[in-house]
Amino acid sequence: MTVIKLVVGGILPYITLVVFLWGIIYKIRKWNKAAQGKMTLYPTPSTPGGKWRKIIKEILIFQSLFKGNRALWGGTWIFHASLALIFIGHFRVVTDFPILWRALGMGKDDVDTFSATVGGIAGLIILVMGIYLLFRRMVIQRVKEISDGEDYFTLGLILAIIISGDIMRFITHFDLVQSREYFAALVTFSRVSVPADPAFLVHFFLGQLLIIYIPFSKFLHIPGAFYSKSIIYQE
Amino acid sequence: MSEERVISHSDIEKAINSVKAIKDGPRALQLYMDICAKCGTCAEQCHVSKANPNRRTNPAARSDLIRKLYKQDGSILTKISGLLNGNNKSLSADDLQTWVRDFYECSGCRRCALYCPFGIDNSVITRKGRAIVHALGLSPKMMVQTQETSDKFGNDEGQTYKSFMNAVEFLESELEEEHGIPIKIPVDQEADILFVPASADLISFPETQMGSATFFHAAGLNWTMSSKAFDGANFGLFTGDDAHMKRKNKVLHDACLELKVKKLVIGECGHAYRIAKRIGGPFYWGNDIPYEVTNIFILAAEKLRKGAFKLDPGRNAEPVTYHDPCNFARSTGVIEEPRALLRACVTDFREMTPNRENNWCCGGGGGLAVMDGKEGVKKNEVTFMEYRMNVGGKMKLNQIKETGAKYVAAPCANCKRQIMQLMDYHKMDVKVGGVFDLFDKAVILDK
Ligand code: HEM
Ligand code: SF4
Ligand code: SF4
Repeated sequence: MTVIKLVVGGILPYITLVVFLWGIIYKIRKWNKAAQGKMTLYPTPSTPGGKWRKIIKEILIFQSLFKGNRALWGGTWIFHASLALIFIGHFRVVTDFPILWRALGMGKDDVDTFSATVGGIAGLIILVMGIYLLFRRMVIQRVKEISDGEDYFTLGLILAIIISGDIMRFITHFDLVQSREYFAALVTFSRVSVPADPAFLVHFFLGQLLIIYIPFSKFLHIPGAFYSKSIIYQE
Repeated sequence: MSEERVISHSDIEKAINSVKAIKDGPRALQLYMDICAKCGTCAEQCHVSKANPNRRTNPAARSDLIRKLYKQDGSILTKISGLLNGNNKSLSADDLQTWVRDFYECSGCRRCALYCPFGIDNSVITRKGRAIVHALGLSPKMMVQTQETSDKFGNDEGQTYKSFMNAVEFLESELEEEHGIPIKIPVDQEADILFVPASADLISFPETQMGSATFFHAAGLNWTMSSKAFDGANFGLFTGDDAHMKRKNKVLHDACLELKVKKLVIGECGHAYRIAKRIGGPFYWGNDIPYEVTNIFILAAEKLRKGAFKLDPGRNAEPVTYHDPCNFARSTGVIEEPRALLRACVTDFREMTPNRENNWCCGGGGGLAVMDGKEGVKKNEVTFMEYRMNVGGKMKLNQIKETGAKYVAAPCANCKRQIMQLMDYHKMDVKVGGVFDLFDKAVILDK
């Protein structure tokens, strides 16, 4: 257990950070340097402002997908929206924001109830949507025929992260004070005491795996979506 | 190009090297290798994939032919992901033959890009695949022949100066007979406008060419054609042969300079306009070229707005529908102009569903329309003709049927040929022609 705690909590985070940053910066610099002729797809906005409005709209509501595949749109939009909520929620795992809560007039209990409700619901919804995405990949012939190990691996990884997260929320009732202390020690390079909840260790380990995997996998669609849309909306 | 073309080890190596070169290639290609989520949306939005749903027609799977090879770079990471994806198989001679077939089943219509959540344009990968097989001399015969003819004669039909002048003379006499007044087709004169159709119009679709001449006449424009540059078609786009594409565009560029024109006006040919406007012109020869590139629809719609000519739509009373060529709608944004003109020229205009940028490809895009036989493509199970009639054109056929139209206006030489054959093959009593064919009938000329 101590070894696992040390590796997952004491060593891996630094590796994750370095590999992720190196990978993503490498990719983005490569994309930036690459030449690109015009390949506008019409109709398209004629001003740079209009172009960026259209890109933001795509990123926020997946407009093309809405027109192209309504069922997938429903599932994956809810999936991504929950992901976004959960991502924001994770700021509280790392540290707390008492100034913000005071500004909003919320007491400690209010904040905890609020985050337990919203986070809990998002955690369950994303589980359902993740299962739906996996299900359609295994069942719908046109998706199945283009799915490889990597596609199942990414979805499996996401689902494992979601499930271990949900276990922490609903079963082991993980206390955020532990993680905040841990992260504070991590960033100041002090001796860390890694939370001992096995669900935490699994969740944290897989989460780091996911982050490392982003620059080397189809998760590159996160920064890539901006680039690829930008190419075809170029007037 | 012979059927006995044996693929050597060095061919395979060349192909692999071109795929590897993507890592320093255009941004779009790099991104498309990296970001596809394998969501399957493109398969729902591709006419080929819809008409014949199976793995080989799935756009993401076709793109994977290249993507998988690209991802084998020998590093440990990609070896691991290679294990996950089962893509450690190296390229075989057989695979390359399959590439030719598969990359010529995609018509490069870009419809998938419109619906992909990331806007991945699979036609870019298709074109890369075609470029690779082209460099190995494996392109379908008709593609290679057309390029050779074009390099020799400056046009895809192999017309000489004499046959071009004969065609012009013939069209002028037809025009005079039809309208009762002389309508000139000026050739090689210095003018404001150089008009360039697809050379196929001169022989196969003379009504379109005549209608264009009548338009210039009716609008009082100072125009000319060039005996050296009367073909905007450019198969370099289809074969992935960039050098050819540039050579052919130079023919137009040189003619523009020689005849000191202010405008290069492309006729009813979608890919010709796309190349002239979006790939060649200023992008090849610099922003300070003395001419502007536009097309006959933009010009005609503007003249129509200004009331430059009188039209009698009653002369075109049959129901007419409009086919948006991919290269006009999606690739150059010429969408409303032909409609404005059509509405003024006919009484019963009917839209297809879907239409405009959402339009289904006719199935003849990407150069497919000119190919009828197996064209030396080893893996072809059927001829290109059968493929176009039963797979590529299926969505279009249904769309046309639904409108009940008796005339399909398809302003592109490739679309015209494809849809004409489609109507013929499926025994539909529907005429196919251009927009300017109808203009020619509707226009009222001062005698
Ligand atoms: C920017 C706009 C984005 C669009 C349009 C988009 C779209 C998609 C689509 C269509 C899928 C495929 C669903 C499937 O069938 O599996 C997907 C998967 C996924 N996306 Fe995004 N995404 C975007 C941004 C993001 C962001 C910001 C994240 C943040 C973490 C993200 C994380 C994921 C994950 C985890 C999956 C599931 C992996 C998988 O299916 O293999 N995406 N996305
Ligand atoms: S729609 Fe786009 S992301 Fe989805 S499988 Fe096709 S190319 Fe890939
Ligand atoms: S470009 Fe057209 S034919 Fe090719 S895959 Fe996309 S939709 Fe299909």
